Amino acid sequence: MSTVCHNCSHHEFLGVECAWPAPTCRDVAAPRHQRIVAWSIKAIAAVSLLVALSQFGQAGYIHAKAWLAQTLISQAWQKTLAGASQVKPWPWADTWPVARLSVPARGVELYVLAGSQGRSLAFGPGHVFGTADPGALGNSVIGGHRDTHFAFLEWVQAGEAVEVEMPTGEVAVYRITDQRVVDKSDTGVLASPPDTHRLTLVTCYPFDALRAGGPLRYVVTAEQLGASETL
Amino acid sequence: MTPAPLGLRDRAREVAELLARLLLMFITGLGVSLALGAVVLLLAGPAQAASREDGSVQQGTLLFRGADGGDPVAAPLLHTDVTLRVSGPIVRAKVVQRFRNPADDWREGTYVFPLPENAAVDRMRIQVADRVIEGEIQARAQAQATYEKAKAEGKATALVSQERPNIFTTRVANIGPRDEIRVEIEYQHTLDYAVAEGVGRYSLRFPMVVAPRYIPGKVIADEESGATTGTDVVPDAAAILPPMMLPDEAGPIINPVSLNVYLDAGVPIASVDSPFHRVRVDTLKPSVRRIRLSEGRTPANRDFVLNWTLAAGTAPSATLFVEPGKDRDHALLMLVPPAPSAVGKRLPREVVYIIDTSGSMEGESIVQAREALAMALARLDAEDRFNVIEFNSTASALYTSAQPASRANVDHAVRWVQRLRANGGTEMAGALALALDGGRNADRVRQIVFLTDGAVGNEAQLFGMIQQRLGDSRLFTVGIGSAPNSHFMRKAAQAGRGTFTYIGKIEEVRARMSELFTKLESPVVKGLTITWPSGARADASPDPLPDLYLGEPVVVAAAIDRTVGGEVRLSGDAGDIRWTSSLALGDANPGEGMGVLWARQKIDHWMDTLADGADEAVVRKQVLALALEFQLVSKFTSFVAVDKTPARSADARLQSGAVPGHFPAGWSPSGVVGELPQGATDARWHLLLGLMALAAFFLTRTPRVRQLSMKG
Repeated sequence: MSTVCHNCSHHEFLGVECAWPAPTCRDVAAPRHQRIVAWSIKAIAAVSLLVALSQFGQAGYIHAKAWLAQTLISQAWQKTLAGASQVKPWPWADTWPVARLSVPARGVELYVLAGSQGRSLAFGPGHVFGTADPGALGNSVIGGHRDTHFAFLEWVQAGEAVEVEMPTGEVAVYRITDQRVVDKSDTGVLASPPDTHRLTLVTCYPFDALRAGGPLRYVVTAEQLGASETL
Repeated sequence: MTPAPLGLRDRAREVAELLARLLLMFITGLGVSLALGAVVLLLAGPAQAASREDGSVQQGTLLFRGADGGDPVAAPLLHTDVTLRVSGPIVRAKVVQRFRNPADDWREGTYVFPLPENAAVDRMRIQVADRVIEGEIQARAQAQATYEKAKAEGKATALVSQERPNIFTTRVANIGPRDEIRVEIEYQHTLDYAVAEGVGRYSLRFPMVVAPRYIPGKVIADEESGATTGTDVVPDAAAILPPMMLPDEAGPIINPVSLNVYLDAGVPIASVDSPFHRVRVDTLKPSVRRIRLSEGRTPANRDFVLNWTLAAGTAPSATLFVEPGKDRDHALLMLVPPAPSAVGKRLPREVVYIIDTSGSMEGESIVQAREALAMALARLDAEDRFNVIEFNSTASALYTSAQPASRANVDHAVRWVQRLRANGGTEMAGALALALDGGRNADRVRQIVFLTDGAVGNEAQLFGMIQQRLGDSRLFTVGIGSAPNSHFMRKAAQAGRGTFTYIGKIEEVRARMSELFTKLESPVVKGLTITWPSGARADASPDPLPDLYLGEPVVVAAAIDRTVGGEVRLSGDAGDIRWTSSLALGDANPGEGMGVLWARQKIDHWMDTLADGADEAVVRKQVLALALEFQLVSKFTSFVAVDKTPARSADARLQSGAVPGHFPAGWSPSGVVGELPQGATDARWHLLLGLMALAAFFLTRTPRVRQLSMKG
């Protein structure tokens, strides 16, 4: 395209305004400040693209880890059911599955890990040390991430069944009795009144918050029905 | 003519392109993340090399809430005035607890408080209005009954009992409306003394706060009331965990302490230092100081420590006190053996470091511990071997077995240590089981350096375990934080035949750890024996004498028959030479309260035999006899005082409350009281940031901006 009109130095030809811009006029020296602007725009574009990639990567990584780990843990759980104890899902893990939690109505099936520190919660819901074993007498507290494993807690309703498979293969069935929001320092949630068979599921609140680390927790309480069956 | 508008087709193409790009980006992101996930899962965290393989993980309780005593709101207010009189190596203390009732009803208060772990509490009295009533030592259950009876009869009464050698409880009943009852407690103990490079250094510690402690075991509840009293491992947990005011709910100082020290060192003092409280020091004489807290009333949230060094060349190397008694005299001997000379070839060491990463260490403590450990690792020689164990609810070791302290290994360990975070329970038994193998090996010196705040309630169980599994290892405890459980530290070190070092703040880490390492690297004074003059029929404690580390004095308390004179002779092996020191009984300084110190040591000795599996009934009988004779508070005896005049009429109600304590300074409440697990990730945040960056990218691709960028 080399019409006269597309002369790079002129925006008009013989007093007539040209169709603009001229696509092949890159190499004509533009004023200095325009070049700087142009370069910074390119730099911004490149940086934003990189940032976008890395952020998506991190978000994806969190979900990928949560998902991949559960697969590995399922194998460790099979060994646990077969009689081994404290089976590590991968050789250097510092946690192990202690129970399998399922909510049949929601199609949820999760392996619960020992310990509720950030390290193990990334891989699965964690059983809080010092509370009763899942399925055992007392109050068993399990924490999980509201945006990965425990996202379903937002939708559960009172009366729904929660099943806990213990390392012995026995299954304890609980019914959800209560959902509430508490402050993270409200350790009354961890208390174990005598003669209770309780399962307490804890996750962060609100569910749609962007960042982790808020002070509120969503607590779902379920009481055992008493009936235990062997698989 | 204006620029030609884009056609509909072009616009559609633009949108399609944008969508395609978005999709591509998403797929790339997902791919990258999956790959990253897989890589990290496969490679990350090789640090966890080993963990406790034996047995299952024990479950414990993070914290008991509301010990007996009930509602803190109903508790009387409390002020504590402390006067400490130091003379030479001994301190005599008077603690006055003023319980004031701010309301118009009648009140009962319970206050759980700490005292030094070797305090011999030998006097108690109460003051009601202008009447002073001397307390009386009774067997624990009997004292309790006396108190309950007086309480029911409406008489002003107080009971002081011991829950642990360093935790006591005062109960005061029938404090009248807007009235006050003063409870005075007196005790005595010997000071910590060490000689380093010819300079004598004393250390005095007055604990101010009972830190929350981890209680392992299964919870047991009282059958009648249903209240939780303890666990199968720590049955009296409720008694050692007073209600606690967290920093944000305490508001003003809830139980202020005023403190005065009258310090008479006997010899000129070079320097006085209070590392944790600001003090005013008045010099009365070269050897006498008066020390007061400069802020007057201070919250009882961290231990008060006072160190003083003696002028060079004046450090006493031997002191003997004798107090004439009714039947027998009592003597206290303190002697620093000559520094041992190095013997032969230095044996390679195997050092196992244990670091407590439980919730109570969260805050300043874990920082101090990490720092101390990094320093300790740097001190290792290439021919030494080492390992690091961390524990909270479970214990895990850096290496499956001790590794040579090569540069690479040490660097690896330091990095591992820097990553440690504190949370969870304090299951010490697991860590001790990993570290103490019970083995004996003459070719190496095996030392265990244990960094902890000792915030546990199952001390007795752990001492037993240390004794059984020690073998030829030596256990050195390093107390961390503003209020470590020094009873545990000292006794664990004693059971482990090592020493106890206390680090109270980060600035002290370097100095204290160097001191400890000088001790670890120096030969030990062994085979100490003491010979009393014939006919003295000495009953001395401790017996046999422990090995001593560099600069440590041997402290012996004894009951002896009155003898005309003669010499006490002390000898031991210092390196390859045997030395002997002797002191004439006739030259002894007159001392006060030596009998009490002796009785306290004997009681300690009897209580220690419990860890060896001695019969509790026998121990009880011995301790009871000693405690009643010397008027001492012990596990089996309590002080009780009753005002004879009834004050409260039978129809006025008595409100009971437990006086709350402060939370230890520098501790992090979330680490101890526990927090509900954090249930969220930053995935969404990353997604948002990603979207924003993506939007910014597309902004640079709009035709307008693109055109600008074309001009480059």
